[in-house]
Amino acid sequence: MTPSTPVDARSPDPADTSLRNAATADTGVDLPPVLSLHNVHKSFGETAIIRGVDLALREGERHAVIGPNGAGKSTLFHLISGLIRPTSGQIFLGDRPIQGLDARNINKLGLARSFQITNLFPGLSVYENLRFGVMRRHGLQYNFWKPISRYRAVAAQTEELLEELRLTRHRDTLGGELSYSEQRSLEIGMALASDPHLLLLDEPMAGMSREETEYTVGLIRELTQGRTLMIVEHDMDVVFSLSDRISVLVYGQVIATGTPDEIRANVQVQEAYLGAEVKA
Amino acid sequence: MKVSRILIILMLVFLLALPALLSTSLVNAAIQMLIAALFASAFNVLAGQGGMLSFGHSAYFGIGTFATIHAMNALGGEGLLPAPLLPVFGGLAGCALGIVAGWFSTQRSGVYFSMITLALAELLHALAPHLKGIFGGESGVSAMRMPAWGFTFGSSIEVYYLTLAWVVVSLALLYFFTRTPLGRLCLGLRENSNRLPFMGYSVHALRLSVFMISAIFSGIAGGLLALSNEAANYVIFDVNLSAQVVLNAYIGGVGAFFGPALGAAIMTFFGYAVSDLTRTWLLYQGVIFVLVMMFMPAGLFSISSWWATQRGRHAPAVLVRVLATWIVGCVLATCGFVIIVELLAHILAQDYQSLLVPGAAWPAVLLFGIQWQPGALLTWVLPAILLVVGIAVVLLGNRQWSYAQQEQAA
Amino acid sequence: MEFFTVSLLNGTIYGLLLFMVSAGLTLIFGMMGVLNFAHTSFYMVGAYLAYSLQEVVGFWPAIIISPLIVGVLGAVVERYMLRRVHQYGHGHQLLLTFGLSFIIAEVIKLFYGNYPVDYRIPESLRFSAFDVFGANYPFYRLLIGGTSLLMFALIYLLLTKTRVGIVVRSAIYRPRMVEALGHNVPMVFMGVFAVGAALAGLAGAVAGAFYTTNPNMAIELGVLVFVVVVVGGLGSLEGAMVASLLIGLISSFSVGIDYSLADLFGLMGAREWAEGVGGLLTLKLSSLAATIPFLLMLLVLLFRPSGLMGTRE
Repeated sequence: MTPSTPVDARSPDPADTSLRNAATADTGVDLPPVLSLHNVHKSFGETAIIRGVDLALREGERHAVIGPNGAGKSTLFHLISGLIRPTSGQIFLGDRPIQGLDARNINKLGLARSFQITNLFPGLSVYENLRFGVMRRHGLQYNFWKPISRYRAVAAQTEELLEELRLTRHRDTLGGELSYSEQRSLEIGMALASDPHLLLLDEPMAGMSREETEYTVGLIRELTQGRTLMIVEHDMDVVFSLSDRISVLVYGQVIATGTPDEIRANVQVQEAYLGAEVKA
Repeated sequence: MKVSRILIILMLVFLLALPALLSTSLVNAAIQMLIAALFASAFNVLAGQGGMLSFGHSAYFGIGTFATIHAMNALGGEGLLPAPLLPVFGGLAGCALGIVAGWFSTQRSGVYFSMITLALAELLHALAPHLKGIFGGESGVSAMRMPAWGFTFGSSIEVYYLTLAWVVVSLALLYFFTRTPLGRLCLGLRENSNRLPFMGYSVHALRLSVFMISAIFSGIAGGLLALSNEAANYVIFDVNLSAQVVLNAYIGGVGAFFGPALGAAIMTFFGYAVSDLTRTWLLYQGVIFVLVMMFMPAGLFSISSWWATQRGRHAPAVLVRVLATWIVGCVLATCGFVIIVELLAHILAQDYQSLLVPGAAWPAVLLFGIQWQPGALLTWVLPAILLVVGIAVVLLGNRQWSYAQQEQAA
Repeated sequence: MEFFTVSLLNGTIYGLLLFMVSAGLTLIFGMMGVLNFAHTSFYMVGAYLAYSLQEVVGFWPAIIISPLIVGVLGAVVERYMLRRVHQYGHGHQLLLTFGLSFIIAEVIKLFYGNYPVDYRIPESLRFSAFDVFGANYPFYRLLIGGTSLLMFALIYLLLTKTRVGIVVRSAIYRPRMVEALGHNVPMVFMGVFAVGAALAGLAGAVAGAFYTTNPNMAIELGVLVFVVVVVGGLGSLEGAMVASLLIGLISSFSVGIDYSLADLFGLMGAREWAEGVGGLLTLKLSSLAATIPFLLMLLVLLFRPSGLMGTRE
């Protein structure tokens, strides 16, 4: 499925890999960031989880968020995707404030997320799971007068998505009957199905073996061409190979943002998170 | 799905030929069975497909009955809307009430939803007696079927065919619904409504839409009742009808499209067949329901899917033997249980109690053509034995089945 | 003034009765996630058992024995029925308890007939507690209220001050963890269910003598109890108390108010028009008393969907 054209004017070739090169990350810096967080706080009662996060995602980049357990990474995703609302601070998608909007409206603005704990429709087929995402793009949610099979475009796009996720052979398998890593692929696929401008992946590789992880990294690389990606991951190999920039979240604050090399070299990060030994 | 298509055609043929095979009173029973089947299928859109268990569905059925009755009185039966088409008002009334009630109910999900639907139906039930203009007070509202299209609709047979036509068309529409985007999203609501907002959907609006569809067809079913009974009374808003449709649907099995219709047909048929036992029939229904919930959670219809999945692994003879064992056991246990309950019902009834003379033996009870002496031990031991033996046979069937499964796995 | 005081007393006591029944329901739901449709059936069984036992052993023993029997019934239901269908999900369990309530009602009708039975307050308790503006206020009503308050106090103390209570409260939040710590969680569930049933039975035994004892009492009270938990918030004891009192008071007051919407219009000089329209406008509030709790529920749903004291779902 070819991604739809991003809202703001930008580089004409979505496959332009020059943006992948961290050294030229400054091109596009004059465009409004795809996602920006300004001094976002979130407390649950007395407990402050997010204590002032500032973050900006550039157009087309792959941005990883790493940090020790309990740092607030999932909470951050929940705040951005609209599951919960910030105690204070602002979140912008492009130039639109989205803090406090509900998940549905945020999705309609072009943001989609996957979940750390697989969140599919277990009793429905893989095809159907994906089709829901595609259907909404065509505005079909309240249509009760025409069979869905008649909508060729929907069918075509769903098939295309199946292909890209390499799940075609499981087209009719029930979501609940897939293997774990296939479910994770479907999980990503469901987020992609709404053709988002910004994709949030919450630990997509959680619980996977080495081979499965490598496979999924390749899949993610393919699928996020021309989109902006924010990913939470624990696997450092994945993070360092996949991302353009990394933000390190510790106790609800971003202590560093930069390219993988910069992060590797950052003393604070080493102390707080990576420890003395750093994988080269 | 070729087999099911053949079965549907056979069923249609059977239903078309039915009046020729039955007496008039049974034709009336068949009409009630059809109406109950449609109501259960409409209920299933919400409960089985949408995952929203409604305990107050009699409201949408009943409002349809009243709307159609009033339409029958208001419209003379000429012009664009002759009597046969009047259930459409039932559908409209169901739609209107469904939107209002559904808006409130779908604010919550799960058990809250169920409780709200019950409370809303009870609200209507409490309000109806006071709104005599609409609901007619204790005597209700009545109307007459006016002739149309060359039929007088005076005989049960004509009403039967009219009902059959409506039910077939409605079921076809309901089936069609399952193929539409909203119909598929309905399943999504059941499977994982939490994910839907993240895919851009408004769960409340979707739930409301599904509720509306369910209410429309419930209203049509109610309208068919108005046509056949030519009367409507506010007792229809009683919790009994709501309970009945829940029982029917789940006994039949909400997983299959025709499951609830099947359950409704069977239960309504039995209701008629054993009408002289109506005092205890409700008890039997409850027991059947609880047993199905405990031992056949997917309903009676699951027998066919059980057969379909197991046919690939076991020889038909094996399956038939196990099934026969189970059926024999159930029949025996049922006989024993029914005898005990019927004896109790007779003995505990007021008119029997008034015959008792202290010191004298209790009079015999006439049951199934035999005189049972309540004082005799055999009277109680015999059905108890039947019950125990029946249960033992069922357990034997279980053992046969697990044995067959072990053999197949080996 | 008399009307006000009497309605206030009656409403409070009725509210306390509602609380007695809804407390058990809300606790069981909070713990096991099961909405026990048959909860008010236990209430009904308690009333009928007390009625039958009263003739054999007298009023006070009957009031004590009846809840015990209902508690055993509850334990049996949990152990042999609910536990079996636990694997199919909460909806299935709800349906099972629904079927059970159906069966219980029919068995009651089988044994006692489809009409009210003459379960009455014993003569010894039929005195008045005090005078209210010249009318006698029955002591028994206070007994009902007192039982409810005693029950609330007992539950509260049990849950907060005893070891058993701590285990129960932990099992609400983390049943598996509690099990890992060596406690017999299935036994705890069975115990809570049995205690909840017994409390409902006690409420029935005490209240059935005052209000009528008939086969429909389960569903009549059941709907109200459901309204209480929707308004108060499931799982919240405080919410149940507030909602019960609110509904008790409103029901009590509205029964005595003979005004209608037409009277309201009359204040603006439009009485004749309103009476001409008829229907809803001329209905007296007293006739509609039964519907007020439902309207309250609808209001709450409009403005505070999670209940007065519930948390967001």
